[in-house]
Amino acid sequence: MSNIKDEILEIISKALEVDNKKIDFDSSVENVDEWDSLGHLSILVSLDKKFNGNLAGIKEMASVDSVKSIFKILENNNLI
Amino acid sequence: MHTFIKGIEYFLPEKRESNADLKIDNPDWIIDDIEKKTGVTTRRISSNNQTATDLAEEACKKLIKSGLETQDIDFIILVTQSPDYTLPTSACILQDRLGVGSCIAFDVNLGCSGFVYGLAISSSLISSGLAKQGILVCSDTYTKYIDKNDRTCRPLFSDAAAAVHISIAKDDLMGPFELGTDGSGFDKLIVPSSGSRIDSCGMVENRLYMSGADVFMFTMDMVPKAVNSLLYKSDKKIEDIDLFIFHQASKLVIDSIIRRLDLPEDKVFVNMKDIGNTVSATIPIALSDAIKDNRINTGDLIMLVGFGVGYSWGGCLIKWQ
Repeated sequence: MSNIKDEILEIISKALEVDNKKIDFDSSVENVDEWDSLGHLSILVSLDKKFNGNLAGIKEMASVDSVKSIFKILENNNLI
Repeated sequence: MHTFIKGIEYFLPEKRESNADLKIDNPDWIIDDIEKKTGVTTRRISSNNQTATDLAEEACKKLIKSGLETQDIDFIILVTQSPDYTLPTSACILQDRLGVGSCIAFDVNLGCSGFVYGLAISSSLISSGLAKQGILVCSDTYTKYIDKNDRTCRPLFSDAAAAVHISIAKDDLMGPFELGTDGSGFDKLIVPSSGSRIDSCGMVENRLYMSGADVFMFTMDMVPKAVNSLLYKSDKKIEDIDLFIFHQASKLVIDSIIRRLDLPEDKVFVNMKDIGNTVSATIPIALSDAIKDNRINTGDLIMLVGFGVGYSWGGCLIKWQ
């Protein structure tokens, strides 16, 4: 389970084009400058790629604002 | 009776806005990053005294000049979300300005799905015997609603009008259609004080608002379903379609649709770079450009899919003649 979470942290850092050390479990729109509306779109695209399109039906992914909330939604939808 | 597209003309306002122009008002914007996602380098901006009806008139006049006789026009359908007035209907103003005699004329208040909805309505008017031919014109001036510092909307939207001559046909050249709505997303792409409802704070905010992430999620969910539904209804496969023309929302959206449906890139027409997202006019403009670029031949099967504000979506197949 932790491997997939590490992989998602890596995906988020790549999507935001920041060093992977900058993204951890406590990262959010509040403490990562690059996580703005365009960065958020990049995260959605990258996660949609990772989950082969299974992200698209999850409307609440549009308003996630932290790594914790991303994990929670992915877990609730049995994607991780 | 069947229906086909007999001609297409479009009109773009003269003023061009480059991405360097955006930087002047917004020095903190990272243009390369924006451009990578939008795929747009230039937009067209209507002048202060130039409305969607004015743009539509220019596009319709080009269509009439190309051979459509005004006495043969049985209907004028104007797809717009930037009408001259709340009332009267802009299509009535257009009928008078074009010198067309009494005909069916009305506006359709739809955005990015509007062209396909307009095709379905035109086709229904013709198949019911109410009309033989007419004009479907898509025209909008969203840029008038956009704040100069709005990074979500300003790099994307552009003003234009596209007029299409729809006529009776012997052969079945249009359809099936897939039209749908999910009004739960009404507030994700909206001009909040554009109608009678004033928000709870009594604020008058006549600016376009778009939640890019929500609209993106809706698109990624709905467009693949609409495409697959059209393929199922028509008993076709992706390889049977010669060209896909999607609403030119943004590069990021089109790239994601290609990925989700595993479409061959050379079968997807893209032309938003120098024109931008012109709302309901993107599909007829793309159709016209694809013809000019020799990307469409007689007998080709083309899938058109529009999606966005509402939320609303519309797709159809046309056989080019």
